[in-house]
Amino acid sequence: MARQQGFRRAPRAALVVWQSVALSAVVSACAAAPLAAVAALGPTGARAGLAARGAWSAVPVLLLTAPILARLLWSGHVVGTGLRRRRREHRTMVDVLGRPAGSVRVLAHPTPTAYCLPGLRRRVVLSEGAVQTLPPDQLAAVLAHEDAHLRARHDLVLEFFTVLHRSAPAWLRSPSALREVRLLVEVLADRVARRRTGPVAVARALVALAGARHPDTALGASGEAGGLRERLALLAEDDAPAWLSAAMYAFAAGTLAAPAAVIALGLGSMGA
Amino acid sequence: MRGRAINRLGELERAVMDEVWAAADRGATTVSVREVHEQLAESRHLAYTTVMTVMARLSDKGLLTREKAGRAFRYAAAGTREELTADTMREQLVGMDTEDRRAAMLHFLGDASAEEIADLKAALAEVEARHGTSAQG
Repeated sequence: MARQQGFRRAPRAALVVWQSVALSAVVSACAAAPLAAVAALGPTGARAGLAARGAWSAVPVLLLTAPILARLLWSGHVVGTGLRRRRREHRTMVDVLGRPAGSVRVLAHPTPTAYCLPGLRRRVVLSEGAVQTLPPDQLAAVLAHEDAHLRARHDLVLEFFTVLHRSAPAWLRSPSALREVRLLVEVLADRVARRRTGPVAVARALVALAGARHPDTALGASGEAGGLRERLALLAEDDAPAWLSAAMYAFAAGTLAAPAAVIALGLGSMGA
Repeated sequence: MRGRAINRLGELERAVMDEVWAAADRGATTVSVREVHEQLAESRHLAYTTVMTVMARLSDKGLLTREKAGRAFRYAAAGTREELTADTMREQLVGMDTEDRRAAMLHFLGDASAEEIADLKAALAEVEARHGTSAQG
């Protein structure tokens, strides 16, 4: 549903929806065991059970909920430290080998490319090829796009989804959901760049950089298109109407409220 | 303050690499810390030990190679600027698997197939038609 083009025209709202759905899924999974126990025993049974067995009644909770939490925390740790280490190593090389040009580093490489290194010590990196190939308005578009990623900390959003993706069991994973989130993050940055330079400059920069990939730096067919077509199509379109964004934010709030309400009801029935 | 100190260190590492490459251009395949310090100290206040530390760090990072020659080390660049840059970029593009690379850096665009590029040009034409062909949209 969320992959409809219409929703992509409100990329920030769409991202909030995805995050709320993911978060409420995690909360629901963690709360499932204790809630199931309450439901099975009934309110008086649960209270009696707790009184009778005291600490032992915590065992099923621990057996079911704790592994989920542990997996999440472990995955978060592994993903987080790995990302930061790779970025630090690359940033070291960029700082030494790159030519500083304002707040940007330019690497002496003919293939036009542009990327950013997010984090506390952030960098925007362009190749010499990009600087030579792109006219000033397109360069400005690229820089505005990368700057948007850095300022809004899109890396944290992607990290959140990556951690969930890795900690979910294989049958529960959704690679297309991950792809969609990545696309939305790019569309969001495109929108910011568009406001600064207009859609044509951003679109031309996209096509110019796409068409200039050096053969030996291009990865083999990874199967995943970069969403370039979608990004170009969305550049031509206006933002979604305000009522649609508002509806999406309301939906997101709803998905977060649902597990909270269920938990409250469950706890309430125990006390009744 | 701290930011400025880090910038100075980065600037120093660049200056050392520039000097090592320049020396190689002049025919000196290896250099000593003293030779590099002499060159750099001409235009800035720089302690010998600072240069020594920086060159040791660059060697640890794989940008310089070093050999013991008597009591001191002699350093050489591990490659030209272009070679080291290409290595860095290749390692970044190929060395990590796609997932990790995409998460570690946010690239302006991902990989495009040849068919996609042709489609893109058509899509670009539509953007230009709807929003004008002037540079400022």
